[in-house]
Amino acid sequence: MYGKGLRPLSIATVIAFAITLSLVFFYAPIEADQGFLQKIFYLHVPLAIVALCGFIVGGIFAVLHLRRDDPRYDAYSYVSIHISVIFAVGALLTGSIWAKGSWGHWWVWNEPTLVSFLIVFLLYATYYPFRYAIEDRQRQARYASVFAITAGAFVPLNFLAVRASASLVHPRVFATAEGGLPGSMMLTFLCAIGSMALLWTTLVKFELSAKSAQGQMKRLRRALDAPTSAATSRIAPEVH
Amino acid sequence: MTPSRTAFAAILGKDLRAELRTLQSLPAMALFAITSFVIFRFGLNRTHLSGSLAAGVLWATLLFAAVLGINRLFVAEREEGGFDAIRLAPIDRSVLFTAKVAALIVYLAALELIAVPIFALFFLTSAASLAPLIIVLVLADIGLAATGTLISSMAVNSRARDLLVPLVLLPLVVPLMIAATAATEPLMLLGGVSYHRFGTWLTVLGLYDLIFALLGYAVFDFLLED
Amino acid sequence: MPAWLFAAPSIPNDVGGKYVAGAYIVFVLLLLIYVAIMGMKLARIERDLREVAEIAESRTAAPAADQAAPGRGSQEPSISDSLAPGGSRGGGA
Repeated sequence: MYGKGLRPLSIATVIAFAITLSLVFFYAPIEADQGFLQKIFYLHVPLAIVALCGFIVGGIFAVLHLRRDDPRYDAYSYVSIHISVIFAVGALLTGSIWAKGSWGHWWVWNEPTLVSFLIVFLLYATYYPFRYAIEDRQRQARYASVFAITAGAFVPLNFLAVRASASLVHPRVFATAEGGLPGSMMLTFLCAIGSMALLWTTLVKFELSAKSAQGQMKRLRRALDAPTSAATSRIAPEVH
Repeated sequence: MTPSRTAFAAILGKDLRAELRTLQSLPAMALFAITSFVIFRFGLNRTHLSGSLAAGVLWATLLFAAVLGINRLFVAEREEGGFDAIRLAPIDRSVLFTAKVAALIVYLAALELIAVPIFALFFLTSAASLAPLIIVLVLADIGLAATGTLISSMAVNSRARDLLVPLVLLPLVVPLMIAATAATEPLMLLGGVSYHRFGTWLTVLGLYDLIFALLGYAVFDFLLED
Repeated sequence: MPAWLFAAPSIPNDVGGKYVAGAYIVFVLLLLIYVAIMGMKLARIERDLREVAEIAESRTAAPAADQAAPGRGSQEPSISDSLAPGGSRGGGA
C-alpha cells in the first residue's frame, strides 16, 4: 500500500535532482564573496530546511496520533523524524565543511543557524533512547507523540533564542548576498529545495513501505503459526 | 466534579507537606549547588567571577541542581499509586500538571533562596545584581518547571528513569539557558549593573514559559491514559 | 567527444572546489549508506518470505499426501517440491 506511489515519486526525485545539479554547476553564477565555495549553499541549506520541516511534520503527525488514536500516525511520525534526523546529520556535515572552507575551522559558534541546528539535532537524537526506555508499546507511542509535539514546538523557539544571541560583531559565516539572492541563484535554490523535499518524501515512503512489508510478514507468520523471526525492533512502530 | 482550584490546592498542599516532612529533594539540591560552586572555584581556578563566567557558573549549577529535584518529582506518585488515584478521581487530570509545576517552582525558589546568596558570597564583588536577578530567576523557574514536569512525568514510567530526564531535558532547556545567562551576564559585569537587552531576554523567557506551560497542560491528559 | 563535455566547467582546483566536492560527496555517501541499510532489510524480508513460503507449501502438501496415501509420511512430496528450482512461484522474477 505504501509502495504504490513510490515509482513515480522516485522518478520525479531523480529528474528534480538532475535539473538542480545542472543548474547549480552550469547555470548559477559564481558568487562574489565566497567564490566557488558558495555552491555548498545549494546543498546545505535545503538539507537543513527540509530537515526542520520534516521535524514539524513529525510533530503534526504526532498531534493526529493523539487526537485520532490511530497507530498509523505514530508510524508516520516516527519515520518522518527518522528521515529528518538523517537529513540533519547531512546538514551538519555539509555545514561543517562549508565552515572549514570559508572560516578555516570545522566548527563555528557564531553562525546561529548551525548552532540552532546542533541543538535541534541533539534533542531529536534523544528520541530513540527515549522510545527504547518505555516498554509498553501503546504508552511508548503516546509518549513519543508527546515528545514529537514538544520538540516541534521547541524548534522555532530555539532558532529565535540562538539568533538573538548571535554576536553582532562577528559577521555571519553563511551570509549570502546583501540584497537577497539574484534571480538565477533564487531559481537554483528553489529547485534545490524542491528536490530535497521530494527526496525526503520518497525516503519516508520507502521506509514506510519496508516497515509495512515487515509487518505483513509478521502477520503471515502468525497466521501460519510459524515461529516468529528473532530480531524485532523495540522502538520502531509496527506498520500494517 | 471537584472544581480544579480545590484539586490543585489539595495536590500542591500534599506535595509540599510531604517534602517538608521527609526533606528528600531540597537539602540535596541545595548542598549539590553549593558543592558545585566549590568545584567551579577550583575547576576554573578563580576566586571572583563576573560577567559571562559568573552567569554561566550560576545557571549551569542551578540547572543541574534542578535536574536532581525533577528526577524525584513523580516518584511518590509512581510508587504509592498516585497516578491511579488521579485517574479515578473526578477531577480534570491536567490539574496534576499545574500542581506539580507549582510545587517544582516552590522547590526551585527555595533552592535559589539558598544558593544565589551563597553564590554572591563566594564569587561576586557586589550584591547589586541580585535584585534585578529575581525577575530572571522567576521567569526561568516557570519555564524550567513546566518542561521539567512534562519530561519527568514521562520518565517516571520508563526503564532508565534517572537517565532520561537529564538526557531529554537538557537540550529542551537550552533556549531557556541562553536567555537566562544572556540576561544575567550584564547584571554581573565588573563595571556595574547594566541592562543591555534585558527586555529582549525577558521576552524570550516569557515566550518559552508560555509555550511550554500551555503545551504541557494540553498534552498531560494523554500522558495519564492507562 | 560530445561537445557539451567541453562546456562543462572544470572543478576549480583551489580550496573552494575541494570543499564543494567534499560536501556533495558526503551527501551521496549518506544516501548510499541509507540504501545499503534498506538493502539489508530487504534481504532479510526476502529470506523470511522464502521461509514462510516453504512452511506454507509443506502445509498444503501434507494434507494432500495424507489424502493420497494415508499412513505415508509427508516427506516425499515436500522434498520433490523443494528440489524444483525456486519452486513454481519463484520462477517469474
